[in-house]
Amino acid sequence: MTSLVLPVPPSRRLFAGRWGKVLRGASGVLLLLAAWQVSVPLVGLSAYFYPAPSDVVASFADLMRKGILPVYFADSMVRYGAGLLAGALLGVAMGVLIGLHRTVAITLSPLLKFLFAIVEVAWIPIFVVWFGYGFKTIVLALVYVVFFPVLYNTLLGVRTAPQILVNALRSLGASRLQVLRYAILPSALPGIITGLRVGAGFAFRGLVFAEIVAAKTGIGYLIFEGTQTQQTARTIVGMIVMGLTWLAIDLCFLRPVERATIQRWGLTVDAEQRA
Amino acid sequence: MRIPVAAASVIAAVLAGWWLAAHFAAERKLASLQPLPGRGSYSITLDFAPERFHQQRMQEAGRLVEVRDRTVYLMDVTPKSLHAIAGEYWVDKVARWEGK
Repeated sequence: MTSLVLPVPPSRRLFAGRWGKVLRGASGVLLLLAAWQVSVPLVGLSAYFYPAPSDVVASFADLMRKGILPVYFADSMVRYGAGLLAGALLGVAMGVLIGLHRTVAITLSPLLKFLFAIVEVAWIPIFVVWFGYGFKTIVLALVYVVFFPVLYNTLLGVRTAPQILVNALRSLGASRLQVLRYAILPSALPGIITGLRVGAGFAFRGLVFAEIVAAKTGIGYLIFEGTQTQQTARTIVGMIVMGLTWLAIDLCFLRPVERATIQRWGLTVDAEQRA
Repeated sequence: MRIPVAAASVIAAVLAGWWLAAHFAAERKLASLQPLPGRGSYSITLDFAPERFHQQRMQEAGRLVEVRDRTVYLMDVTPKSLHAIAGEYWVDKVARWEGK
């Protein structure tokens, strides 16, 4: 059978595919930056109220030259990594425990629901009183933020593990640990990764707030300090760095890990197999 | 999983490069001051007027006595702390100081 293939117009080919997507995204950003730069003299406000993109670039260069941005960035990333890791480990452990033990679930459910309703922002002042300003308080706040999405997604994964696999393993004489290792955890893994991705996003937002309240370094502190010292361009640098860092984390770590996990471990059945 | 591994490798390489650059920068800046005493007083000159961040960083290394223009005067600085401070790329010059 012959098929008719219509030629794609060159203008469409330029913006097609993966690079086309990137180009379109970049053109949107460039357009916004151009509009921003042009609007500054029209608005006529001082750089404190409305800094131009060129002020922000100059501020970025200044923060780099003075060594402030690298240190603040590193401090933020260490806190973020520690909070994310500890929160994820705790969330997974509790999720598996609650998912497998009915008594534990009944005992802890009301408490967890109660704690879930209290946002981390409310805890930070108490953490400051208990642990002082700095690393411990910020990491604890992040653990709190990451814990719940990971817990609930792990719980969902554990509870929706295919019973047929669990029964098959049990009938073959597998121990509880083997059932967990070969059936429950692999099927819960996509849920865990989804929870981790959600928690990672929440933690990134929480990081800014925690650093504003409880730190003297970090990107969150830079955002806060910028407005305090009337260097609004620094605040915007901090915001841009946060945004770009999140994009990089998502693109380089979270999304590929999620995709690989679902492909490798997710006991998913696609539509073709179902049919 | 190629992207996360590549990204982690890039981060590790940047950190190692950063550490090496700081180490050699410190060696270069402190070469004329060797041997360093157990605790000493030093004047640390920056490329710019120090901000609160730099003063806090200096206070971690020793007792900050005075800030004059682009220079910070420190006392009770251990060789290890001095090495760490001298490794910062924003530190221009480190010299002995008689102290107050």
